[in-house]
Amino acid sequence: MLFIKSGLQTSIQDFGRTGYMHLGVSHSGAMDKTSLSLANYLVGKPKDSPALEITLIGPTIQFLSSMRIAICGAHFDIYLNNDLIFNNQSVDVVSGDILEFDQLINGARCYLALSCEINLKKQLNSFSTHVTAKIGGYNNRQIKDGDQLSVLSSNTTQSTKNKSLNSSFSQFYSGKYLLRCVESVESNLFSKVQIHQFLSTKYKINQQSNRMGIRLDGNKIQISQNIQITSSGLTLGSIQITPNGLPIISSVDGQTIGGYPRIANIISTDLSILGQLKAHDTVSFELISCNQASILYKQKENWIEAILTN
Amino acid sequence: MSLSDFHFRLNGDSAITLIFEDKISKSLTKNILILKNTIIHANDLPRLIDIIPAYQSLTLCYAYPIKNVKTIENQISNIIANIVLSDRPSALKKQKVINIPVCYEDTYAPDLKMLASELKMTTNQLIKKHTDGIYLVHMLGFLPGFLYLGGLDESLHYPRKKTPSINLAKGSIGIGGQQTGIYPIESPGGWNIIGRTPLTMFDVDKEKITIAEPLDSIKFYSISSAEFIKFNIQSQN
Repeated sequence: MLFIKSGLQTSIQDFGRTGYMHLGVSHSGAMDKTSLSLANYLVGKPKDSPALEITLIGPTIQFLSSMRIAICGAHFDIYLNNDLIFNNQSVDVVSGDILEFDQLINGARCYLALSCEINLKKQLNSFSTHVTAKIGGYNNRQIKDGDQLSVLSSNTTQSTKNKSLNSSFSQFYSGKYLLRCVESVESNLFSKVQIHQFLSTKYKINQQSNRMGIRLDGNKIQISQNIQITSSGLTLGSIQITPNGLPIISSVDGQTIGGYPRIANIISTDLSILGQLKAHDTVSFELISCNQASILYKQKENWIEAILTN
Repeated sequence: MSLSDFHFRLNGDSAITLIFEDKISKSLTKNILILKNTIIHANDLPRLIDIIPAYQSLTLCYAYPIKNVKTIENQISNIIANIVLSDRPSALKKQKVINIPVCYEDTYAPDLKMLASELKMTTNQLIKKHTDGIYLVHMLGFLPGFLYLGGLDESLHYPRKKTPSINLAKGSIGIGGQQTGIYPIESPGGWNIIGRTPLTMFDVDKEKITIAEPLDSIKFYSISSAEFIKFNIQSQN
């Protein structure tokens, strides 16, 4: 497939690479793994298969072979040869077809899954493009204009019926989110007043947000000079309070060791929302127990499994 | 030396960080690594996807949210209670001294003159102090292949820049606060840059993807810009 236009940040992503954080390599992978899973399901692939992560401004693609595709996640106006097509259903394309992502309607990232295998090699056990480490994906980088992604031919799906998601599973991204959190390593160093301030603030997503981290604007939390911490392992979804009093959420391509105090950490169930945040969206936080987080995770797993085994 | 003084902290719903009260030292780093290896090889624990040692901590990352924090805490406490931390050379890999060439000439050292003058020494004195040091790798992290080094001479301590540079070249050697370090990849950064190494610190095509491991030592030596260029040509061939 040929990328006539690459879009703002289009990259190959799967579920990411684990086991290398002690060497400084964060997990990378899709920022919204829920949408990636659903898109892969629609083209008949395992949920963690690599697909294209498309961010804010989508690409224009010319297909050079027949395959089945599906798009889940953020909503764009999407045209296949000038006809509108929609998220959450698989579509068959043939050589010469042109897929164009136009206006973004809601959300920030969508996933374009392909029924055929992408002809790439894994690096550090994953196809994911790690943008800061410059590893994985297509030539260790995001897609550029004119890139041609080689795929292996697929003929298995053409005989099966196209799939679509029940409309009740369709996501709508309001731009206002509640992110649930549990405690993190330095939560106990913040005062009750500071925690209350954090939990009662509606933060705005700063433009300087990316796959490394999401910066928030809003009420500043005055950190006393007394909070002295030693750098330690930084996990996905950690909310650090930087010296200027504003939170930064660590994301998939972020650091593996952090030196700012962490006030909380977003629960695994809500991490996929990070992939749909864009500048000026608002988020607020709610603190729950680790046990509740574990129950919510199980519920979400069941929800996804119910779709995938349908 | 023991690891007896520690506590657990939740690090999100899928990770637990053990914090040790001992001061940052080579022996603490060593004990943390022995503990890390012991935990990795313990069969009866839930599968870890990542385990991150740091100066005074060890972070255990699980694939799923932790159902029962107490159970894990008890398991790890038991391991620590039974661990033998005496000098067991077999428990850890052999530690190496890794010599790293650095070109301290102007082209590669935008902040060297400023830093020398702020620290009230000549650039040659600064280079000598920097190359005299032997630096212990405590851990890796922050960026892929970034080494957290201990042992910077106190006379070279100097605060980070207030406004970080947007783009530091791969291999840049800097001083920030009480630390010296090497930027393994092109990156924004707030350290004062005093030189650059032509060596590649992080390479996924190699069997060992990073140049050093915790407990290895780093020694810098000065090279000319001609040698720097020669190194680069050699590594491309």
